[in-house]
Amino acid sequence: MNAPDRYERFVVPEGTKKVSYERDTKIINAASFTIEREDHTVGNILRMQLHRDPNVLFAGYKLPHPLQYKIIIRIHTASQSSPMQAYNQAINDLDKELDNLKSAFEAELAKHSSGY
Amino acid sequence: MEGMSYARTPRVKIRELKDDYAKFELRDTDASIANALRRVMIAEVPTIAIDLVEIEVNSSVLNDEFIAHRLGLIPLTSERAMAMRFSRDCDACDGDGQCEFCSVEFHLRAKCISDQTLDVTSKDLYSPDHTVVPVDFSDPSGEESSEQRGIIIVKLRRGQELRLRAIARKGIGKDHAKWSPAATVTFMYEPDIHINEDLMETLTLEEKRTWVESSPTRVFDIDANTHQVLVVDPEAYTYDDEVIKKAEAMGKPGLVEISAKQDSFIFTVESTGAIKASQLVLNAIEILKQKLDAVRLSEDTVEADDQFGELGAHMRGG
Repeated sequence: MNAPDRYERFVVPEGTKKVSYERDTKIINAASFTIEREDHTVGNILRMQLHRDPNVLFAGYKLPHPLQYKIIIRIHTASQSSPMQAYNQAINDLDKELDNLKSAFEAELAKHSSGY
Repeated sequence: MEGMSYARTPRVKIRELKDDYAKFELRDTDASIANALRRVMIAEVPTIAIDLVEIEVNSSVLNDEFIAHRLGLIPLTSERAMAMRFSRDCDACDGDGQCEFCSVEFHLRAKCISDQTLDVTSKDLYSPDHTVVPVDFSDPSGEESSEQRGIIIVKLRRGQELRLRAIARKGIGKDHAKWSPAATVTFMYEPDIHINEDLMETLTLEEKRTWVESSPTRVFDIDANTHQVLVVDPEAYTYDDEVIKKAEAMGKPGLVEISAKQDSFIFTVESTGAIKASQLVLNAIEILKQKLDAVRLSEDTVEADDQFGELGAHMRGG
């Protein structure tokens, strides 16, 4: 009867930002990014990619509550970088990796289908 | 700092490929990518499924909502789904099924007029669109062996009738499992098995046999000529630790060392038939890319922070 609509889980409500950024008030080069309507799929790959960046001192994500459809990514970087820079770099690198993966898979697929 | 990249180049090797099944190796990446790929395949690659049913006549034994639910679960060929619109963001219509960009209409008319029960199947669903039809499960090799049959929706006895209009829409598995194109998607870490040969040679043939047989799956075997213990199928290992416990119980700890390679995965993908298994993987990569693109910081967020940054620098400097 009062169940929320199923699409609430993945459609960003009007007037809400997909990603919001909040600096840490006490630590410089630390910030959290709140991503609406995302879950472990994006949270975990971003976290692991951030760990590969030597400028990142801390990176973690949490899903605060299973019924609040958002994740919070927290990044703390060294002084020569910034959380925003690290975040953008992680996304760009993952994007490149997925491009590489796609071409690798397509090449294998071509090899496989020509074998018949 | 700019221009530096920590992107990897994953390697892929396809082992087996059928229309609805794929098995492949994924290397040089980590579990987060493998798991993201698995999650996207199950819950976020779009397909087309019946979502709205208007029943005109239903005198069958099943009630209207039961039939509507069964119709929803029928897999429909969804090669077009990636290019289609979600009816909620379709501006050409209100998602009422009158629009070719976001929906496909089906009709079903069946009436039993004989004494024999009539099976109403997915083959009785008619749509004007030939690209979106119920998936054909008939075996292409066994031509007309047991007549082409679809998925049974309901059985009718003499005099019963079913007449309805159904609208199929694009959707994702996160919304409802009927939209999931994946039957199963799994990945396992590739095991790395090392037998301590020196220690193994201290065992008698009989001991070797009992040790080999302690594994619930056939991972090891004994060479008939040299009586050496060999790893015949490392992937049959289920990380059950039975052989390690057995070695300890025999007083030979360290007889075998087994670890999971952290950057090698073996994927098994089974599709419902809505899209080909190979296409499912490619679509999943594409969707994941789109998701990452959607979480990029917007211009105004960056600008707002730049202003705040100057202010912050002032405060720190002053």
